[in-house]
Amino acid sequence: MNTITNNSMPTAPGLASANNALLELYKEQYELEDYQKGVPRWCSGCGDNAILTAVQRLCRDEALAPEKTVFVSGIGCSSRFPHYMNTYGVHSLHGRALPIAEGIRLARPDLKVFVNMGDGDCFSIGAAHWVHAVRYNMNMLAMVHDNNIYGLTKKQASPTSPKGLKTNTTPRGAYLDALNPLTVTLGIANVSFVAQVVDWIPKLLYQTLSEAYHHPGFSFVRIIQRCPEWLPTHLDEYLRDPERVLLLTHDNGLTLDTDLTKRYTKIEEHDPSDIHRAREVASGSDPIPVGILYRNENVPRYEETRSDTRLRTSALIRKGLEAEFDKFTIWPKGHQPQHA
Amino acid sequence: MNAQDQIAFYLTGRTSISGGAQSSLEPFDRSYHPALFARYGDLTSLRYDYPMVLNSQGDLDRALLSLSGLVDEAVESLADDPVRDRIARHGYELEREIRSELSSNTMATAAGHNDFAVLWESAAKRLAQKDPNTVDSAKRLWAMFNANGELAHVDFAMPARVTKHVWNAVQGSKAKTFRKEIERLLLKLHGILKAELASSEEGRAPKRLEASMGTAFAGAFDFDVMSEVLVRAKPGVRISDDRRKRITLLIDVLEHQRFFPVSKEVAPYEFVFYRCATAVEAYKARRSEGMELLKALEIARLEVNGEYRESAEYAADGRLDHTALFEDFGLEHLDAGVLSALPDYLLCKYTSELDAEETLQIVDALSSGLPIKVLLQTDDLFEPSQTQTRLTNEERQSGLASRSRFVIEAAIASNDVFVMQASASHLFDSKDSLQRGFTYSGPAIFSVFSGVNAHARGIAPYLVAAAAVESRAFPTILYDPSSGAVWANRFSLDGNPNREAAWPEHSFDYEDESLQTHSEDLTFTFADFLALDERFSRHFAIVPKAEWNSGMTSVPKALSGNSSNSTNRLPNSIPSITVVGARNNLARAILDRQALEATRRCEERWHTLQELGGIHNSYAERAAAHFEEQLAAALAKAQVAPANAAQATAQTPASVAPQSTPIAAEEPAAAKEVRGNDPYIETPRCTSCNECTQVNNKMFAYNDEKQAYIADANAGTYRQLVEAAEGCQVSIIHPGKPKNPKEPGLEDLMKRAEPFM
Repeated sequence: MNTITNNSMPTAPGLASANNALLELYKEQYELEDYQKGVPRWCSGCGDNAILTAVQRLCRDEALAPEKTVFVSGIGCSSRFPHYMNTYGVHSLHGRALPIAEGIRLARPDLKVFVNMGDGDCFSIGAAHWVHAVRYNMNMLAMVHDNNIYGLTKKQASPTSPKGLKTNTTPRGAYLDALNPLTVTLGIANVSFVAQVVDWIPKLLYQTLSEAYHHPGFSFVRIIQRCPEWLPTHLDEYLRDPERVLLLTHDNGLTLDTDLTKRYTKIEEHDPSDIHRAREVASGSDPIPVGILYRNENVPRYEETRSDTRLRTSALIRKGLEAEFDKFTIWPKGHQPQHA
Repeated sequence: MNAQDQIAFYLTGRTSISGGAQSSLEPFDRSYHPALFARYGDLTSLRYDYPMVLNSQGDLDRALLSLSGLVDEAVESLADDPVRDRIARHGYELEREIRSELSSNTMATAAGHNDFAVLWESAAKRLAQKDPNTVDSAKRLWAMFNANGELAHVDFAMPARVTKHVWNAVQGSKAKTFRKEIERLLLKLHGILKAELASSEEGRAPKRLEASMGTAFAGAFDFDVMSEVLVRAKPGVRISDDRRKRITLLIDVLEHQRFFPVSKEVAPYEFVFYRCATAVEAYKARRSEGMELLKALEIARLEVNGEYRESAEYAADGRLDHTALFEDFGLEHLDAGVLSALPDYLLCKYTSELDAEETLQIVDALSSGLPIKVLLQTDDLFEPSQTQTRLTNEERQSGLASRSRFVIEAAIASNDVFVMQASASHLFDSKDSLQRGFTYSGPAIFSVFSGVNAHARGIAPYLVAAAAVESRAFPTILYDPSSGAVWANRFSLDGNPNREAAWPEHSFDYEDESLQTHSEDLTFTFADFLALDERFSRHFAIVPKAEWNSGMTSVPKALSGNSSNSTNRLPNSIPSITVVGARNNLARAILDRQALEATRRCEERWHTLQELGGIHNSYAERAAAHFEEQLAAALAKAQVAPANAAQATAQTPASVAPQSTPIAAEEPAAAKEVRGNDPYIETPRCTSCNECTQVNNKMFAYNDEKQAYIADANAGTYRQLVEAAEGCQVSIIHPGKPKNPKEPGLEDLMKRAEPFM
């Protein structure tokens, strides 16, 4: 027998007029507190706080049922993210957030999947997974908290540390040019959504994440963030000078309200469907391009072509679990495993 | 064969044919409901128009208010308040608490313990045990409501309570204008008599003069002499005996009338009735008195303006004098506007109490244009009409809401009666129509279905009432003769859902065995409405999932496929509706031919109404088809015309695509906002990084968006403000000027604060 869903509908509460009252559900209202858990252990001033708040606001505004939402992370400061979200979460292995998220996506297509990684986590040890996750284009929102440094282990150079940056592993300054995650991502086959944003413009951060959330496919969002502990002045020039941020706007991208355009006057109209211009914009780093660089909703998604046809009934799940347990069971003589 | 079981059930309405094997069908027991009802297990968590506040404060247009609407209005007005979300949340919780209180405690509501203020306060007290801030939120919301009165939930008594409330409000405003006018006239009429008395000998008698002077100077005057002088000096103003008599009579009529009494000593007439005959009798008995009152008002107006022409004085100029005019004065001389100044008669009637005689009396009263407003409440749409009482249930279906329908149709046919039909669930939505009906100068009838039905499988009356509208069993109808002369202006079906379609359609979500969400569109038909009623359970049978087959189809498809003429043939498909069982499990129920035919009749009635309301009107469609034919013929002729026009358009230059170039911002960078000496934070730019809240969490706090604001500038020192400004990663804290001139190190601090000013 089929079961009626208990999910709440994702709409804000409103007065149901009598005309549609009969079929208008009471929309369960979520508060920011419904998604908050624990006190973040991040340093005060850390950009992770801004991302956490923006994501919690997104969940509240989309009325995502906490029991239908999962956050997956790797290792690093930013990867503590799932601990502070009152949803399901997996704080996984270094660099392996994406394959785990992909597994969840295949097994439980009803869940909303979010991935949080740091620059070291995603672009270094997890680089292979990053490339293939972009190619597989499975529906999830991947956020890279990019502070250009390994913060949790106290200041080692990461792939995005700029040339010349002095760190514990590069005391005379980084020798190589930094990796540009945007141009790399835009070069991968099947790429479908690429955006870049900075943590110090909360409104834009929220808008970009919201667009990424609604994109049907793999949404890659690089969030440039401050590390007040190890690189306290690293981004100061960008932070203080609005001219060093280039806002990308378009009818099909982000629309900017006057609060933003008053402060940030460097604005470019960029059509997110133009991948060539997107690559040009992505290769610039000063001013920092901020907004949606590329979006294509017509790229095929792996989970649609390769979804499991078996019904995941509780009986099937139980059978699988029992078979796994049986592997570790010591059977008395004459008894055989029942679920093999 | 399972398909055979289904066909047999469809044709005979029986699950087992005698002598046959065990049927594969299961009985449609009490636990099943139409699928779209699955969402409404708990009505208290649904935000909808009820309970209504029967507001006793303010204007007529605020006579009926919805509790949800009041809360929303109040929350909206809190736009920038930092605790807006907290108050909103508490508002919703209070609403829910009051709803559950009202629905669980019907005895208390029936006993009249439903005062809005009392319920609001007690709900706040109960919720305060969980969150003490609720009391504050409740107080603030209450202050913004600006409304008080009783709360009305959908129950047996609700239609009458709401109708009486609106009637009272309309009569109240009528009474106010009427009394004001009567009091004004009485004052002036008394004034005329007093003026005469004051200038008469009696008025100038020494004793009277002495009394009017008061005691302080009584010894200083010789009132006898004064009286003589006054009487001699100026002759008194005398009014004619006729006029004095007339004015005395007018005063008597106005002071003792019982329509809108001006003094407490006069008992007012009762205008609410429960039997038509009594109402009509009362009207007849009071007609001449009302006539006298209106006449007295007219004469009094002429008198106080000095415009009354008495026969003796004015006969010479050839114009009709007023005395002669008013002698012949009768009802026929008054237009509806003047007559509607008097109170209307309200008749409240349950259709279950309506016998044939009274039905005709009501129709008669309405069509004779009596100032009567009728509330006709139906509790059971399937109650038989007087002639149907001996028929079976199936035959009764064709007489759906037959008692009220007869009156409504007769009223519409009489052309100048205001008619409104609405379900209890839609009364709030129809409140404007309700007011228009009561202020309408002619007779009006309001037919309301309460939804309170003992056979409704335990479903709340609100839902039954709403389902009646959704299923077209009791459509919302409005006929307003004051809206214009033509039918298109007068008749409206606007209050019905998807009024263009045969049946309303809604999206229905569910999860399957593997927890995957599915969505499908379900129509809500009259068959679903029948399935709500226990009396028709035997016309439905549950088909277990294993027995589902391609021969089962939806009711609308079955209606379009099987015409009623083909009843003798075997059906191509069996109509079914989607239902849910006690465990919220999906199931399908097939219906038998009788239920399908009842649904067809309901659909046909709805089509007739649609035509009346201008939807899919057959005359209009015929005219449109005719016009299209003409247009096609004209176009065929035009094809031989020269193609110059086409060439001309081909030469239009193509538009040039705009270049993707950087664009400048529309406005120049705005100057920094000047906020005086107070500290402030540019809250929308806050990145929630905890820097300032760690400096002093009393001074800096997060709002509901988790962005910082200055909660209390006096909760810390100026030093803390400056340190927070320095620590802020995005430099959005502005410390302002120090408030305490004695704070140590102030000079240094002010220097440090300068970059943030």
